[in-house]
Amino acid sequence: MHPIYGWVTGPLTWIAFVLFFGGLLYRLAQLLVLIRRKEPFIFSYMSFKYGLRSILHWLLPFGTVNWRLHPVMTIVTFAFHICLLAAPIFLMAHALLFEEAWGLGWPSLPDVVADGMTMVVMAGAVFFLVRRIVRPEVRFVTSTSDYLLLALVAAPFVTGFIAYHQLFAYRWMLVAHIVSGQVLLVAIPFTRLVHMLFAPLTRAYMGSEFGGVRHAVDW
Amino acid sequence: MKPFVTVLLAVACGVLWSTTTLLAQEDMRTVPNDVFMAPQRPPAVFVHDEHNTAAGIDECNRCHHVYRDGQLVEDESSEDYRCSDCHAETDTDDGMPALMDAFHGNCKQCHLEKGKGPIMCGECHQRP
Repeated sequence: MHPIYGWVTGPLTWIAFVLFFGGLLYRLAQLLVLIRRKEPFIFSYMSFKYGLRSILHWLLPFGTVNWRLHPVMTIVTFAFHICLLAAPIFLMAHALLFEEAWGLGWPSLPDVVADGMTMVVMAGAVFFLVRRIVRPEVRFVTSTSDYLLLALVAAPFVTGFIAYHQLFAYRWMLVAHIVSGQVLLVAIPFTRLVHMLFAPLTRAYMGSEFGGVRHAVDW
Repeated sequence: MKPFVTVLLAVACGVLWSTTTLLAQEDMRTVPNDVFMAPQRPPAVFVHDEHNTAAGIDECNRCHHVYRDGQLVEDESSEDYRCSDCHAETDTDDGMPALMDAFHGNCKQCHLEKGKGPIMCGECHQRP
């Protein structure tokens, strides 16, 4: 297992992080070029104040009319996204590997907390899956790629959960966990998961237009 | 009454025997983690004598090292001490690795260098 583990935690990890950060930079540059070519006038009313005001409202659970109209969706999506980001970043085993590799460590969560957050992510993924199937208005705009993306997001958490609890095939499960995490990282810039980068930008754009042009609020 | 006393004595001897031999290195199965305030993982599997036979380690100080002023002291060994006698649970300013880092450094780092032995979290921290 040494060569395989060395390969996935070494070169593959480097490739994944370079493509992830490089891909995000590329998408940002691409977006700016597109705006310059098609709608350069939006820079005339982009506002830091109105943009940030809108982002903050939408970052607050039940902070907008739309969040209040869909309370279940609001709770699930906030829990899902917070756990999705916090669990892997503040997982002790992940922080440990970074410290061993680069000597930089950061505080981490107790394993039981991270374990609970992983279960929240998996439950959230099931919720979104069922929602896509049973809600007609959602099913109407759903294609195969939506299911694939959901599976891509859930995979590192499912394999990480099985590996952590050593339920079966521990070594292969850990390799599957690492590789699925790398696939997810690389997929973020080049799929609709890029909303991780674009959501605050589009929200800032809408906030600026509503605040500075229409003199209305967008939440 | 006599059989009862005999049984009691036998049980007492059994308990005494098992507790003393549990502490002997030849029966060591795991690295005890009770020195940690809140251990996050099960204790690492480590069968002392079996490991050293397989790894061909004869000198105690390959693992039971002694460092003085940050320098390895070649001929001294520290098997009469607990690792936690020197390595604190949290990082200290003197550059001494914290206890968990010391364990990982001694075990995992060596396994990586030799290309042999467990290196994944759960290979050592096995759940019962």
